[in-house]
This record gives sequence, C-alpha cells and structure tokens, in this order.
Amino acid sequence: MKAHRAIALFLACCLTGCAAPAEPSSGYAPDEGRRLTIYTSHKEEVYRPIVREFEARTGIWVTVVTGGTNELLERIASESGAPQADVMFGGGVESLEAYREQFVPYTCAEAAHLQAQFRAEDDLWTPFSALPVVLIYNRKLVGDGELTSWSGLFDDAYRGRIAFTDPSISGSSFTGLVTLLKAVGGDEEETLRRFADALDARQLDSSGAVLSSVAEGTDLVGVTLEETARQRIASGDDIALVYPSDGTSCVPDGSALVRGCAHEENAKLFLDFTVCADAQRLLRRSFYRRSVRDDVDSAEDMPRLDELSLVDYDARAVSARRDALLMTWAFIFGGEEEP
Amino acid sequence: MKRSFRARLFAAFLLVSLIPLLISSALMLQVFRLRMTGTTEREAQNYLDNALSAMNDAADGFLAVRDALRESAVLRDALTGGAVGSTRVYDELYRATEGLRGYASFDIYDADGAFRWSTQSLPRVASLPTDWGALHAAAETDAAAIPFFPCEEADAGTLLRGAAALRSDSGDIAGYLVIQMDAGHFRALFSGRYGAQNDLLLLSPYWHGIYATEAGLADTLAPQLRERLMSGAVLNIADDPFLYTAARQESTGFYLVLRQPEVLTQSTMRMLYTVTATSALICVLISILMGFSYSQQISEPIRRLEQAFSRLERNELDVRVANGRETDELSRLGAEFNDMVEALSRNQEALLENQRELDEAQIRMLQAQLNPHFLGNTLDTMKWISKINKVPQVATMSADLADILRFGISPDELVPLRREAEILERYIEIQKIRLSDGFSFTLDLPPELEDCLVPKMILQPLAENAILHGLEGVENGAVEVAAEADGETLRIRVADNGRGFPAELTGAYREQEGLARGHLGLYNVDTILRKYYGEGSGLYLENVGAGGAAVTAVLPLRREEEEEC
Repeated sequence: MKAHRAIALFLACCLTGCAAPAEPSSGYAPDEGRRLTIYTSHKEEVYRPIVREFEARTGIWVTVVTGGTNELLERIASESGAPQADVMFGGGVESLEAYREQFVPYTCAEAAHLQAQFRAEDDLWTPFSALPVVLIYNRKLVGDGELTSWSGLFDDAYRGRIAFTDPSISGSSFTGLVTLLKAVGGDEEETLRRFADALDARQLDSSGAVLSSVAEGTDLVGVTLEETARQRIASGDDIALVYPSDGTSCVPDGSALVRGCAHEENAKLFLDFTVCADAQRLLRRSFYRRSVRDDVDSAEDMPRLDELSLVDYDARAVSARRDALLMTWAFIFGGEEEP
Repeated sequence: MKRSFRARLFAAFLLVSLIPLLISSALMLQVFRLRMTGTTEREAQNYLDNALSAMNDAADGFLAVRDALRESAVLRDALTGGAVGSTRVYDELYRATEGLRGYASFDIYDADGAFRWSTQSLPRVASLPTDWGALHAAAETDAAAIPFFPCEEADAGTLLRGAAALRSDSGDIAGYLVIQMDAGHFRALFSGRYGAQNDLLLLSPYWHGIYATEAGLADTLAPQLRERLMSGAVLNIADDPFLYTAARQESTGFYLVLRQPEVLTQSTMRMLYTVTATSALICVLISILMGFSYSQQISEPIRRLEQAFSRLERNELDVRVANGRETDELSRLGAEFNDMVEALSRNQEALLENQRELDEAQIRMLQAQLNPHFLGNTLDTMKWISKINKVPQVATMSADLADILRFGISPDELVPLRREAEILERYIEIQKIRLSDGFSFTLDLPPELEDCLVPKMILQPLAENAILHGLEGVENGAVEVAAEADGETLRIRVADNGRGFPAELTGAYREQEGLARGHLGLYNVDTILRKYYGEGSGLYLENVGAGGAAVTAVLPLRREEEEEC
C-alpha cells in the first residue's frame, strides 16, 4: 500500500511538475494599511504627478483606475455593496452631486483656505480646480472681438459651424449649456430652440473634438473649458478664447470619499493632499487650471476670477434638474432634425 | 475472439512501449526544467547582486559628493551672495564629482529652485519647484540618504532626480545639489551587469517604472508587474514567457527587476511535446503492426489447423496442414497433426488390407473344402459303376469329372455365368448317371446374361442340394435352373418339385443348426455371396405352390471384363 502511494506520488510529480519555488518578491507588496484605490477621470498627466507625490510623501501605495466620469460613477454605484474605490478623483461636482448617495461628506484639513464659492454646503465633495466655461474661435476665420458673448453664438454667421458636444455625453458641455441658459436669460425653451437652430442639428460626440474641429477650421467657434482651451493654445493651435461678457460659470471639479470604502483614513489624506498649497500650485504651474484655494493665485496671464462676469450657478440645483433639462434639449434638438 | 486477441496484443504492446516512453519523457522534462530553473535563479541572483552593487556604489558616491559640497565654503559663499567667481565653484563641483559624472549630472540650484551651475553643458531645467518632488523632499529632510524621484515626461530626458539641501551657516537653505540621471547614465551604470539575453528594470519604491534596458519596457511592463504585486499574485505567471526576479536597493528604496527569458520557452516546450508525441505515435504504429503481425502469426496457423480438423471429421484422410519454414510451437503442432493423420491413414489401410486378406483366406478355405468333397463322391460312384457294370458311362463321367476338376482348381474366383452353367451341366450329367436318370434337368440361361460374372462353383451346390435333398424319394423329379436380370441385380433360381423346405426356413437364408449340417452347400454359397458382394446378396429360399422348393441366388449384375476368363 505504501509502495503504491509512493509510486503514485512519484508519477504525479513527474507529470505535473514539482511545486514552483516560493516567490520572494511578494514580500515587497504593501500591507492593507498602506494602500489606496482611486477612481479617476482625470487625464494621466494630471493624476500621475499628484499620485506619485502623494505616494512619496505618505508612503501609501495608490492603485489608479481610470475611466470616464459617468462610467466610474456608475461603477461605484454598482459596487456600493463592496466598494473597490476609496476616492473618486475628478468629475464635475454636478456629476458627483448626482451620485451623492455613494459618498460621505468630509471636511478636509485645510477647508478654511478653500474659496467659499467652490465648497459644497455639506462638504460632500472636495473641490480640486475651478474650470470656467469659455468660447473659442479660430483666429484665421473669425476676427478678434467678433465673438464676445453667448448671445453672439446666435449670429447667422456661425449657424451650423459651432462646435458643441452632446451634453448627455460630456459633463463640461452640459455645464456650458446651463451657463448659456443663465447668461442669455429669458424663456429657457425659447433659448434652447434658438441654440438648437444655431447648431443646425450638429453635435459632436466627444469634448476633445471641439478643440480639433475649431483648430482645423471645420467649425468657426466652440464651447469648451478654459483649461482645455489654454492647453491647446499653449501647444500652438491658432485659436483664441473668450470669457463671455454676458456671464460664464466656474464650476469646480472635485473629489469625494466613497461611502464604506476600505481605506478611509488614507482616502482622507489624499483628499487633503489634493487641496494642499503644493498641489494647488502644481495646477497653475503645469495644467492651466485655477486653484480653488484663496492663497494660491492664478497664472499671471489668466484674468482673475473676480474680474469675470459670472452667472449664478448652483451646482446642486442644476444637478437635480439635469435629467429633465437633457430630455428637453433632446426633444428640441431632435425636433429640429426633422425636415 | 480473434479480434479481441489482436486487440489485447495491441494493448499490451502499447502499454509496454508507451508507458516507459511517457514516464521517461516526463522525467527528463522535469529534470531538465529543474536544472535549468536552478541555473537561471542563481544567474538572476548574480546579475542582481552585480547591478545592486553598482547602484550601491553610485549611491555611496552621490553621498560623498553631497558631503563634500556641503563642506565647501566656496559653494556656500557663492550661494549666499558672496563674490565668488564661477570658475571656483565649477572647480569645486568637478573635483567633488570626479569619477561619477558618467552616472549622473550634478547641478546646483539656488534656494528658489533656479538653476546656477551644472556639470552638464546644458541645464536640463531652468528652475525646479521647491514645493514639489525632489527639492521639496530634500528641504523637508536632511536624511542620511538622498531622496530620489522619478521625473515626469516633460522633464526632457531626465528619468530620475535626487536632491540634497545645501545650508548656509545660519542653517537656512542656501541651495540644492540636484543629481539627475538620464537613460545614458543608467546604461553606463548597468552596462554588462545583467546578461545579454536579459533586461533590467528600475522601479521606484512604489513600483513605478523609471528605466529599463529595453526601450519602452518601463512604461509597458512596470504597470503589469505593479498590478501583479498589488493583487498579491506572484511576478511569474504562466502566460508570461519571462522570469522576473526582484531585489531592493536599501539606501534609495528602489527596486531592480531582472527579466530573463523563460528557461523552457513555448517553442522549446512545443518542440519537446512534438518529439514526445511523435515518439508516442511511432509506438502506437509499431504496436499496431506488431499486434497485427503476431496475431496473424498465431491465428492463421490456428485457422488452418481448425479447417484441417473439420476435414478430418469428414473422414478426408489426405488432409495436411501447410506449414511454413517457421519452427515455432504452432508449426510443430501442425507437423504433429500431419504425423497423426498419416499414422491414422496408415492404420486404416492396414486394417482394410487385413480384412480383405482374411476374407480371401476364408473364401479359399471354403472352396478348398468343396473340391475334395465332390471329388470323393464322384470317385466313389465311378468306382462303383466300373466294378458292377463295366459300362461305358465311366468314360463320360471321367471326362465330366476331369472338366469339373480342372474348373475347380483354376485360379479364377469369378467366372462367366456361361462357364458356370457348363460345369453345372457336367455335374448334372454325372448325377444323372449316378442316379440313373431319376430326374429331369432344364437350364434357362438368356444369352445376354451369359457373360455375367459370378463366383466360381455356386450353382453346383444349389443343384446338388435340389437333387440330394429336394428330390429324395420323388418320382419324375425335375430340377430347373433359370437366370434373370432384375435391374442391376442377377437372380439365379434353382427349383425342384420335391417336398419343399420346412416352412420356417423360407425367406432369406439364415444360418441355423441342423440346416447348416444338412445343407452345408447352401451355407457355403450364401457365405461366398455375402462376402463378395456384401449385405443384400445371398440366398433366398421359398416353397413353390404345387410342391417343390426353389433357392434363388441374388447377386449384383456384373459384366465380364474385356479379357476372357
């Protein structure tokens, strides 16, 4: 019997191969207390230096999962039973508001230094950067000073040549649409109808396409965020940006603490880090973004925020109306499509 | 039965060939793999130790540079606004970095992060943030080690940046020593220390890729390795054709990962599997062939033997088993079968021969019994006639007797019926003389039956029986002899008009007490007929209606052959 077992063992060993040697490098992995998982919709050049610096300063290993804002928020919602993410980093605050059930409020360590207009009433989210909506135009096709305001978009000269992304796809486009409504004022449906008419049944399907379309001259003007526009201008595109005279919005993007997350303490450290002066200075230095702190100035070539005319934009109220507004827009925009 | 035998042979061949083959293949593969893996692991450790020692040397060198520059009054003065010529600063810088400039560029930045002096001809970055990355870390801590940071892509080729704060006499930060390494520096540092087939990957303390000896690997491989590490999996996974070994450099906390090609690559394994599979296939083919051939060698002789036995059962004694040149057990069995059949057929022939000889001897003996009997009677009669009457009939009888004697001693056993009838007439002539014409004799022999062959001297005993027993005490006795053919059967009837047979004797002749003694002639004739022609031939006795008896000899109708008797 023993002999049989020995032979069987020997054969099994022959045929399957003996156990692999122990893996020494697994000992290099951090323990649970030094881990953090971040879902981010930021571009790599934005999240990477922040995450790397955070790791170096805290000794916490960060796992980054990237994706679109809505995709990641959906994922967090679907994982609410067993959250994988600790922090949602990025996304307009209206989007974060729309998923408020998934997050818990956290008042970050340096909250006192945050500008009041960028703070959530209940600190559900922590602002990261201020992103005014701007209009852009192709400097070869449109003269400087020709476009100055939202209502200028209704000019027949631009009809059908406005780069505007479907607001149901792009959060910044949605913010742009709401800003337009506030800035133009009057009856909302009437304004939407006029804008849909000006678009002449054309919407783009990604927010990045706005810049390319205007830079290439396919479109004359476009609606986008200040940061994106400045980045393209800095990289050499012959476009110019306009802060609309009839008002713009400056909705921040932000970060939020996931409800029931596994590494809550580390997540809080990360939220603190995103608004610390060093990180906020990085926004100005590297990303053409505006800080949400009151002690970090904007870049010298950016107009100060208080010099801009701003519309009254309540992120929470807008978020609550989001679906209704998108449906109205889809109805009006789609209705115009029919001959 | 035959098929299953063949299948079992095949299975046995397959087992004895395939199992050792598979076991030895698997063993060889394992031994091979273990040896190779062991070698690879030792090799990896050697290379990593080698590369680590290069890193340690560099790190020690950098510390020495930092300490030398911290001690440098010239540099301190220059940074704190003293009137020091830049040549003196460069002199200090170059002296401190002697021997290390191939591994890094050494730059001096002021307290605000603005570039001042460098060992490189071109400054990489005109200013560095003091609130971020290396300079921030350097300001935060004056630790024993120099903090190194991976650089962002924007930083024009610099992969790694370390910084150390240089302090003024008052303890304030006067400037920074910035040590920057690019791909060329790493190439110089690791050159020849990781093996030609291998690649070396430098990872940050948090496993972000910094540099790899193969271009692009730091960006593609590092995230994968980090994911494996974070998910708790081992670095070496099944689908990856490489082996990874990691080691940590203690003073910087950076990791080195050596990537080696898998010992047994997919293609090597495929080749080994192919060889094994081909060998196995050959084994299967050989087993099939051997199984077929051996089962053929066994089943074919058995089949032949089986056929031979069934022919033997049908009494075909000429059957033989064909045997090839083989001298195996089955061939010997076949040969023994042949010997047995031969012996059997010899035995049977001998038996038949014996039987025939016996029969012939018996016939000769019977015939020899007849002749002296008749001869004696005739001679008695002749003697009596010649004594009493002195009559010429003696001559006749003598002549007849002479004929009969000649006929009787002739060697032929079968004679034509014509001859038999002639001899019968001689005999009747003698008996008529003997009995003084006491009876009449008629012979009815159809000409077409004259040449029928019958055993010699069968009619005389029948006639004698009729004359001596049938006509005893009968006046005008008559003996009639008639032959007739009935199909293939010849009937010769000898009838008299005497008193007939006792009723119990009629029918086929049966050997009986009394009858045999009184009718020895009938017994002999019947015996001769049956011995010659077998059952069906013989004598039949009957009584004829108006008195008198008839004896019929029944025998096959055979014609005389070409030659005359």
